[in-house]
Amino acid sequence: MMALAFVLSPLLILALGALLLMLAEALTPKQNRAAGLALGATIVFVAGFAFSVGAWLYGVEDVAERELLAPWLVIDRFTIFFDGLFCLGGALAALLAGGYLREHGLERGEFYGLLIFSTIGGMMVAAAGDALMVFIGLETMSIGAYALTAFRRTSPRSAEGALKYFLLGSFAAAILLYGFALLYGATGHTDLVGIGNAIRAGGQHQTMILVALVLVLVGLVFKVSAVPFHMWAPDAYEGAPTPATTYMAAVVKCGAFAMLLRVLLTCFSDQGLMSWAAGWPPVLAWIAVLTMTVANLIAGQQESVKRMLAYSSIAHAGYLLVGVVATIHSMGTATASVLFYLLTYTVSTAGAFGALILCGRKGAEAVSYEDLAGIGRRHPAAALAFSLFLVSLAGIPPTAGFFGKWFIFRAAIDAGFYALTIIAFFNSVIAAYYYLRVLVFMYMREPAAGAPIATPMRSGYVATALVVSAILVIALGVVPSLPLDVAVEASEKTFAAPGG
Amino acid sequence: MATKTSPSQLPHDTTSGRPAWTTPLFAFLAAVVLLVVATQLLGRGNEKDLASFSQANATVGSLIPLLVAAVVAWLVPQGHGWRTRAPLAFIAGLFALFIANMWPSAAAVATEGAADAQPEEMPTLLSWLIGLPLAGSIAILFMPRQAPRLLKATTLLVMLATLAASIPLLRVDMGRTFHFNQDVVWIERFGIHYHVAIDGISLWLVILTVFITPIAAYVSFGSIHTRIKDWCFALLLLEAGMIGAFVALDLFLFYVFWEVMLIPMYVMIGVWGGTNRIKAALKFFLYTMAGSLLMLAAILYLAYTYSRVTGGTATFDFFELQRLQFPRHLQIWLWFAFAISFFIKVPMWPVHTWLPDAHTEAPTAGSIILAAVLLKMGTYGYLRFCMGLFPEVSAEFAATLGGVAVLGGILYGALCAWRQDDVKRLVAYSSVAHLGYVMLGIFAATRGSIEGAILQMINHGVTTGALFLLVGVIYDRRHTRMLDDFGGLAKVMPVYTALFIISTMASIGVPGLNGFVGEFLIITGTYASDKLGHVNGIQAVGAALGVILAALYMLTAVQKMFFGPITRDENKRLSDINAREMIAVAPLVIAMFVLGLAPNLLVNQMHGAVERILVDYETRGKLPGGGTKFYEGPIRLGIRRPDTPPPVGPSPEPTPGGLSFGNEGSRPAGGGAHDGHGH
Repeated sequence: MMALAFVLSPLLILALGALLLMLAEALTPKQNRAAGLALGATIVFVAGFAFSVGAWLYGVEDVAERELLAPWLVIDRFTIFFDGLFCLGGALAALLAGGYLREHGLERGEFYGLLIFSTIGGMMVAAAGDALMVFIGLETMSIGAYALTAFRRTSPRSAEGALKYFLLGSFAAAILLYGFALLYGATGHTDLVGIGNAIRAGGQHQTMILVALVLVLVGLVFKVSAVPFHMWAPDAYEGAPTPATTYMAAVVKCGAFAMLLRVLLTCFSDQGLMSWAAGWPPVLAWIAVLTMTVANLIAGQQESVKRMLAYSSIAHAGYLLVGVVATIHSMGTATASVLFYLLTYTVSTAGAFGALILCGRKGAEAVSYEDLAGIGRRHPAAALAFSLFLVSLAGIPPTAGFFGKWFIFRAAIDAGFYALTIIAFFNSVIAAYYYLRVLVFMYMREPAAGAPIATPMRSGYVATALVVSAILVIALGVVPSLPLDVAVEASEKTFAAPGG
Repeated sequence: MATKTSPSQLPHDTTSGRPAWTTPLFAFLAAVVLLVVATQLLGRGNEKDLASFSQANATVGSLIPLLVAAVVAWLVPQGHGWRTRAPLAFIAGLFALFIANMWPSAAAVATEGAADAQPEEMPTLLSWLIGLPLAGSIAILFMPRQAPRLLKATTLLVMLATLAASIPLLRVDMGRTFHFNQDVVWIERFGIHYHVAIDGISLWLVILTVFITPIAAYVSFGSIHTRIKDWCFALLLLEAGMIGAFVALDLFLFYVFWEVMLIPMYVMIGVWGGTNRIKAALKFFLYTMAGSLLMLAAILYLAYTYSRVTGGTATFDFFELQRLQFPRHLQIWLWFAFAISFFIKVPMWPVHTWLPDAHTEAPTAGSIILAAVLLKMGTYGYLRFCMGLFPEVSAEFAATLGGVAVLGGILYGALCAWRQDDVKRLVAYSSVAHLGYVMLGIFAATRGSIEGAILQMINHGVTTGALFLLVGVIYDRRHTRMLDDFGGLAKVMPVYTALFIISTMASIGVPGLNGFVGEFLIITGTYASDKLGHVNGIQAVGAALGVILAALYMLTAVQKMFFGPITRDENKRLSDINAREMIAVAPLVIAMFVLGLAPNLLVNQMHGAVERILVDYETRGKLPGGGTKFYEGPIRLGIRRPDTPPPVGPSPEPTPGGLSFGNEGSRPAGGGAHDGHGH
């Protein structure tokens, strides 16, 4: 039993921590709440991360008791990897919130509680081995995210974004649930392994399974905000307070990809459904192409840096989908490439949003490109940090983003998707254009006389988050061997049999 | 030969009214020429009687630099204090040290002295060369922005230390193999290694890099006054990237360095450039990025195929990947992906359009580095990687591409240069023409033409570097570069005029200066080539025509700028070249004479490497059959490739997309004759 508690510990630690934080928030006098909660949330996340590492080192294969939780929660290396990743993303978001909320007068304790509980939802999604569990985890994660989006209560944009996100999100969740219901009807199972086995065994409900597949795909792809199901993302990302945006771009997206991989590779890993002729791969490939191209083209048109980052986050979902499509030929490597990309993407994007937060104080936020003009000269440290993360997002060596892209493209070439790879390459060039535009404004333009300019804020929390992300971005770019091995182990030990 | 150019300057010296400046300059150049001759005589003496003289030579060898330094310091005219004398003397001394070291017999003497062994190679030397500037750039980040002098001094010191650290490279007799080989596993899972080594080709490009960068940095400190910290950081990072790209033998590592160069150059153009700098910088970036991503895709595909063929071993090692042979249709795609990224960098017509913009907008130092080193990445990359990895397709397209190089590069570049009003743009277009020669020499693929091409890479670096530097000098004074704004400058700026004319002559290819040797080798090599189909004669004529055009556009510009009456009042009060600029340009001018009079200094070290490349190229290019398979050449490092190509049987079943060479039938059966006439 102890062993089970240990491999489940990241989730338990977060739950316990969130309850304690809520208690603490209720009991401390109002004027003292400010500082402690962000630190507390960070500590909870760091503890969760430490326990994930511990569980990873302890090993999950020999823990017999994990059968007790199956098939509802499947504790394997894949789960543990995502537990660690969520805790990392959550910790960065909590640190950013510590600086941002105080600066903008939004400091209320619910933020951290929502953050942690939503992360627990993400962990449930990553571990879910049953359709119902997938849905419960997804809702736990999403409801937290909806509330976080609407956190700036006085701002109409925040409310607009949250409402859009909520309505479309619920709609997509309903579609997903409908898909699962059809699957249950066709196979008589709700656990993913059972569904997968039933589909592999064949039967007379082929048409129903296909319809269910389409519905499930729509639901899943909505959550990763791929084109054409991306409409909610820019508004929600822009309207939300920036730490919440960071959280959505990093943790929620990782959770959605965990769900996508788990459901597709467990339920629909049938030879026929995974084939290029009649299954989900071509659909997903087209979605990937559309996502990359459309998102990159629109991102280049944006005037607001935050909105540009939102579209860039959609575009990154496109690159990730290329990796997901590649799983049909080399399941282990391609899955590992997605996992590794998610890791590099989390640190880069959290860093980029963090740098954006650091660049603006209340009343002088960095919103448009013009706000950032000349900041490279006025505040070199903030600009340097921002540049580093943008270079990483653009995928230029020797940063983390480069290796992420490299691994994905390598998996795609290994799988024989040359056209897809080349499209992804060209998209990287387009993407480089708008990332560089920020550099252009920061270093090469001076603000027009009298124009509003961004003035950096001072916050130890934000600075810490940036330093941590920067170290990770460079470390992942220079010595990626260890995290690569971890990602490969996480995927190969979980999805061992290729092609079903 | 050196005296040949001086009569044309003598009248201006007498009319200038300040002859004190020019006389020592020529005395200085004469001293260098004398020194070259003297060293040669000494070297000869040693060859005759090695045993008794080697000890004496070692002593003399160490004294020569000091002697030269003292002479130069003494020759500097009266009006200048120690702050001018010391650096000039130092540069001259360092130069003498270089020559003493790279003299062919010097290496031989060192070998003899060390009991018949090659001088000990320090395996980490190349890593030091990359690491010093890299560490310097990181150190710069932690220095206070408010102390520009400290930043500048650190940058220069680091660069000079790198220059000094490169001297041991010259002591090794390169031969056919690679030296200073360092191979460390970097990322085991992908088979990525940190593998650096140097041969007779990359040697000179590395030397050029470490030689030009401090000059560019030094001259820039006179004209760049804003954001010194960022500038120093970019310069050092760029130097590290350039050296790394020239010595990397792991394709992945090469790509990383290739990209590392991109950002600093982009920032250099974009931050310190002219009025249209942002557009030019973005154009530069996007062109290069598009090419390099295609190259990345091809690298990935190569590695993937390798692992598939060998059953799981992943590698990015150049020598291992060289063993792969692809069917023709695949090879064309891969070759194209590599070649286009190199052609963009060279730049070859029609992807050259970023270059004039980038040069026009870049600050002087940026232009110098861009022209002198970065463009060589393209030619070097094509020579090493395209011809090394895809010899069949490279040979197949050589004739066509040779035509592009002549028409689009040499002739079109020259004609464009002729029509320019902006001196800097003119020099930029002349770069397109000069790089056309280099590419033509590489396409022709005879021993002479490739050696000429490599020599021309170095020459172009030195000459065009000097020209950009001198254009920068006049721009700093007048803030214009339009030809019409000048005229009669020879009367007010005699020394400047002399230097500019020497550089122009070198660029045109006047015998005795460096440009001549390279162009001569390339043109004769082209004429003798059997790789260019039936048109090599026409291409050689076209290339020769380019020399005439070069004289036309360069001399027109010189005539407009320096001679005739002084039409503008502003031009009457211009001050002549100052000490900083003099110190910066002096080594380049000396190098022009040295390379022009003694090109064997460089060529001797190249023979082995060029021969190796050609043997690879010929062997693979003639191989029948296709299909992805190995050919069992002993390609591993350290093992010398036998002169005769290893016997390779044709593949059991020729694949449908087999290899066919357009010019194979027209070749004599012997084939290997590099200098024989093609038909």
